[in-house]
Amino acid sequence: MTTVALDITSTGWVTTFQDLGRRDTEQRGVPTGGAADQHSAAVANLLVGNPRGATLIENLGGELALVPDADVLLAVTGAPAEVTVGGGPVDGWTPLVVPAGEEIRVRADMSRGTRTYLAVNGMLTAPTLLGSAAPDARMGFGQLLAPGARVLVETEFRGFGRRVFEPPLFRLAVPVPRFEEDPWVVDVVASHSIHTIPGIRELIEDSVYVVTPRSNHVGLRLAGPVMHPDSDAEIVSHGVPIGALQIPHADELIVLGRYRSLTAGYPIVGVASRAALPLLGQAGPGRELRFRWTGRETSLRRFARREAQVHALGHAAAEAFGALGFTAPLSHAI
Amino acid sequence: MTTAQYGVITVEPFGDSAVMVTIPHTDQAIRRAGIVAFRDRFLAHRPHGVLDVVSGLESLLIEFDPLQTALPHVEYAARLVAQWAPSPQDDGAGARAVRTFAIPVVFDDEHGPDLASVAGELGMASSEVVEAIAGSTFTICLLGAAMAPMMDGLKVPRPVRRRAEPRTDVVPGSIMIAGTNAIIQPFPGPTGWRVVGRTPHTIVDISRPDPVSFAAGDIVRFVPVAPDEAGAVDGRFLLPVEEPA
Repeated sequence: MTTVALDITSTGWVTTFQDLGRRDTEQRGVPTGGAADQHSAAVANLLVGNPRGATLIENLGGELALVPDADVLLAVTGAPAEVTVGGGPVDGWTPLVVPAGEEIRVRADMSRGTRTYLAVNGMLTAPTLLGSAAPDARMGFGQLLAPGARVLVETEFRGFGRRVFEPPLFRLAVPVPRFEEDPWVVDVVASHSIHTIPGIRELIEDSVYVVTPRSNHVGLRLAGPVMHPDSDAEIVSHGVPIGALQIPHADELIVLGRYRSLTAGYPIVGVASRAALPLLGQAGPGRELRFRWTGRETSLRRFARREAQVHALGHAAAEAFGALGFTAPLSHAI
Repeated sequence: MTTAQYGVITVEPFGDSAVMVTIPHTDQAIRRAGIVAFRDRFLAHRPHGVLDVVSGLESLLIEFDPLQTALPHVEYAARLVAQWAPSPQDDGAGARAVRTFAIPVVFDDEHGPDLASVAGELGMASSEVVEAIAGSTFTICLLGAAMAPMMDGLKVPRPVRRRAEPRTDVVPGSIMIAGTNAIIQPFPGPTGWRVVGRTPHTIVDISRPDPVSFAAGDIVRFVPVAPDEAGAVDGRFLLPVEEPA
């Protein structure tokens, strides 16, 4: 193992340490949190031989740039982005070697998605709260990275010593999501309180909703037509799944994110399909969304298909890295 | 303390990988006590594939990994736990002893800006509201956002309403009430609850491995103190009352 320093030379609007979130903390009032686009975060880690839940860097907007003081193996995933190493263009969604002293720059195309993920082979040194490096702004755990910060990574990567004309080392089947033109279609499973608002099902299905700038990690606030229940029946504080579609008193629709808390008083008409959550994590202001009601079984089949691809990538990456002589933390915990 | 009778539960699917458990009973007290007992039992006999649970005042959201288990299994396990599993207390093992807290609070118009309006609403003097709060024994029913202890047990003539306009930024340590509940604000933030006082203690300290010293089921009393007494506490981390050995 060697310790490599990554000197952060530029950060986006919000650049933080990140992972897939906390486990077993929701029962104690702390949302799981973690990467808004869990698929991209998991794949970034697998591409560099890390367990999928390893700590990485999440960048929202702007440009992330850093310079390592030794060769590092890293991968950039998430929204379509312009990625350069030492000024030359390189690919996202694949393992990359950034030589010592060279700068990697990542600029996402904000018209196509909001967040990028940068994973580095090894273990990033980052503070944790309740076992996770994921930020929790509400508890004063910001995990923000700023230009000038120096991030340390424990890695066993020592370079591959390959020449440029040799074939690529890795030909992995990488499940790269499509970042399509507007509107993005989001599958939603109806929940029981949809019956308290007659007509809402058809209204939501037939409308286009636009993500407003008042959105954040707690929820996407959408402009578009809504209806409210007639009765004023009290709804006491209760937990809600990630992706819940909530209708507040105002004329807007809220899709709750990974940092939601208990909710009270507002009807929840449906919950976005698990398979759609990574896409929602990429939706920024101005993004048009359409909702498509779907059954639970169909919803889970899509999720299972996506997960099978990620799992296969994990195995392929573990084999490739194993053949190259990597051991820990390359792993098995995929 | 008697075990709430709640054998029958309602299990509703919520999205593609969660269910919501509630207790269909006309008595609110039984619904609330029952769901706490159910949560304890469910966690003590946690079925495979269950990722986490989220406690509501009268509900429990059970989140599961749909690739490791399936809706019918979770639903079946929940019903089985409700009917058959002994409570963790009965098991003797794994149960955490109930802790008791005596939390000093400054109750005045400066630290509790809603105290006067709550008193007006209840037709009482502010001092009588403070007496009612200090005379109530609260039970922590769940940890709310950012580990805020949410408690039940406020003894007032009728439930306290929430603010019509939520406050946008409430100071940490604020003691807030709504309905027959009380909660302590651990971090600055918005709330619709009525702010009636403030404790000088640090409620949640994220630099500690376990950021809080309390858990659901613990007992809380609020002890009115003068501002200078509160000042002497100097933000110390909140600890339970020492139990006599």
